[in-house]
Amino acid sequence: MNLKYLIGWSSALCLSAIVAQAQETNEVDKLDQRLKQIQESFEKQQREMRENFERLLREQQAQIESLKKELANIPTNAVAAPTNAAPAAAVTTEQLKELNTKVDGVVEAQKQVRPNAFNPSIGLVGETVFSYRSKGADETGSSRPGGFDVYQRSVELNVAASVDPFAKAYAVINASADAQTGEATLGVEEAALQTTSLPWNLELKAGRFFAEFGKLSYIHDHELPFVNRPLALDQYIGGESRTDGAQLNWLLPTPHYVSLTTGFGVGFGGDSPLNNPGSYRSLSGFNYYGRLSTYFDLTPNIQLETGISGLINPSTQDRGGVLVQPDGSTLTEKERRVAGLDLKLSYVPLRNNQFQRLDWGTEVLYSDSRYLFNPSGSLDPANPTHTAGWPAPSPDDYDGNVGSVGLYSYATYKWHRQWSAGFLFDYMQSAENHNDVTVAYSPYITWALSHWNQIRLQYTHTDHNAASGLHPDDAIYLQWAWIIGAHSHGWQAR
Amino acid sequence: MKSTLFRLLSVATIGAAALIASPAQAAKIRVVTTLTDLADFSREVGGEHVEVFSLATGVEDTHGVPMKPSFVPVMNRADLMVSVGFGCEHAFLPALLEASKNPRIQYGKPGYVDCSPGIAPLAVPKSTDHSEGDVHPYGNPHYMLDPVLAKTAIQHIYEALVAIAPQYQADFTRNRDAYLAKLDAKIAQWQAEAKGLKGVKFISYHEEWEYFAERFGMKVFDTIELKPGIDPTPRHIEQLITGMKAEHVPIVVREPQFPEKVPALIARQTGATLLKLPIMPGGVPHTDTYIEMMDFIVHTMVSAEAKRG
Repeated sequence: MNLKYLIGWSSALCLSAIVAQAQETNEVDKLDQRLKQIQESFEKQQREMRENFERLLREQQAQIESLKKELANIPTNAVAAPTNAAPAAAVTTEQLKELNTKVDGVVEAQKQVRPNAFNPSIGLVGETVFSYRSKGADETGSSRPGGFDVYQRSVELNVAASVDPFAKAYAVINASADAQTGEATLGVEEAALQTTSLPWNLELKAGRFFAEFGKLSYIHDHELPFVNRPLALDQYIGGESRTDGAQLNWLLPTPHYVSLTTGFGVGFGGDSPLNNPGSYRSLSGFNYYGRLSTYFDLTPNIQLETGISGLINPSTQDRGGVLVQPDGSTLTEKERRVAGLDLKLSYVPLRNNQFQRLDWGTEVLYSDSRYLFNPSGSLDPANPTHTAGWPAPSPDDYDGNVGSVGLYSYATYKWHRQWSAGFLFDYMQSAENHNDVTVAYSPYITWALSHWNQIRLQYTHTDHNAASGLHPDDAIYLQWAWIIGAHSHGWQAR
Repeated sequence: MKSTLFRLLSVATIGAAALIASPAQAAKIRVVTTLTDLADFSREVGGEHVEVFSLATGVEDTHGVPMKPSFVPVMNRADLMVSVGFGCEHAFLPALLEASKNPRIQYGKPGYVDCSPGIAPLAVPKSTDHSEGDVHPYGNPHYMLDPVLAKTAIQHIYEALVAIAPQYQADFTRNRDAYLAKLDAKIAQWQAEAKGLKGVKFISYHEEWEYFAERFGMKVFDTIELKPGIDPTPRHIEQLITGMKAEHVPIVVREPQFPEKVPALIARQTGATLLKLPIMPGGVPHTDTYIEMMDFIVHTMVSAEAKRG
């Protein structure tokens, strides 16, 4: 039995080897043939070139001989020529002088524009949000006052250029109005280097950037399909997924689109507080994240894109300091974990996609952070510094996880190049207490006067349950966003 | 059980070996084009040596081809990326090129084929300010609707194919020359047919017809769009109608990717003939090739003018 087994496998292996060798020999023969063909073609071309050159030489020689003969006859006519030649020469000199002046002018003009030749492309985005909220900030938990408000949310400078044949770089510098003082708070939202020529379908990004997590986390505010970022993203990510780190993207070498991104960074979330590393940060103090996404053409006009994302920060080191709960207890965060599933279904009729489109986007997130709970509320929120021996644990403190679910779902229908309308539904359990639930409903309508100028009107009704200590409120937003200068159609904006 | 497993594994191994042993097909040159006219030219010149994929299907706005992720793996494996140039594809091609991660076909690389060099552009704007709408900084990019200028694109495609596969130069040359001969004969036919179009004025939705008009002696009176990419205001529509009546403009051209409502209104108010004309092959039925598309355009324009006369 064993011998049969051995003979059988040996035969199969030998056959494979023979066939493989035959295949290899076949390939070598073909390559050899091709090389011979190329060589023959090259030699033929060389011969033809030589023959053409010799023929050309002969023709030119004949022309020279002919011209020489004509020249020999010229002296008998040359005496009369000068009387006609002088005025023609004067005209030619004048014209030549004028031409030289023009050429000099063009050369000078070219010299003048050269200093700008390597400037990056520059664009500026402005975004103003006019609003009315029926309740004050103390009742809504908003960072902006209730009642009437005008918020210059973005004055965003975008610059981008190639660094060299291997990379490009870009920066997004944003100024927004401080809620208390009204003064412009300037910040670098993104400043990163991105490779352009790595092998194996890889792309590396490093610096400060919006990490690829989910579908809307890495979209700038003015590019969102609605006025405000979904509650779940604000709560679990901390606004935009900004991080200082590095990210590697791999386009899988398959006929079907599959993209894998992974990265790490210090901090995750533009509005999210940083960890408290103290004097030494270990690897567990980083945020590690990834996203796997794919896409389907369900029909030529219907597209589906979906992805799963994950984020873990093994040691958040009391990120955000002491977090005071509505019931007076306090807690500090020890570990952060977020998982997400995103889906976007789009109807984009090829024939008139500039004038008609329907998008349905949904993202479900699960936050599973670990906290040190301090039910007695004995931790001092005024002293958030993590120093040795602080916070002093009390006997009833305990370690535990809070699993919270958040989601948003929106649909936007565009029926005209300038007009679209939609509805956004928000559901969010607080990451610190999943019994604290907020729900919001937001219809909106957008008027895009042009590609660079749009106005959006949105109504939002927000409901909180009793656990939050907040109150329901109604808000109206009028957002006006504009762009000047260079503005590229980025991959995320598809 | 063991013997069954052994037999199955042996068969599988031999089967795999047989598959490996089958002669490998000569790899075709993978050509991706932005628009369908370039795809048609690539197939004509490349013949059996090319595998061609067009990002557009023919019905889209040339500036609004959707950025589908399904294009990315195709572009990732492409040997050549053929584009119209003059910024025609600025709304979708740069992002797709970056997402494709294919260094061979990036701007400036041998695999990136810009078909515009050698063409003197019309309507180069004095200013690239957005007060003039979505202007094309390098000039009007819609030269492919002039069949004489379109031959420049054929030559660029030919040169790119020869550069990447010189062993097939003889085939490419034969294919190109045969197609150019066919196209030249059609150009002569179209120019003969279109003699009656000289001096005829028309409006179109977008400024797509400047090169066509120049070739066939027609005059573009105006566009329905207020500015490139900017929808007409009521005042602009009113001025168009008044102007068309005063100048006796007999034709309104609607490209298939634009809505019919406003062009139909203008045609009704002015008594002009409304024509739906494709701007690339596949834009309307039975225009799957460049020649079929130009046949359709010329015949439709000539018929409209003939009926008026």
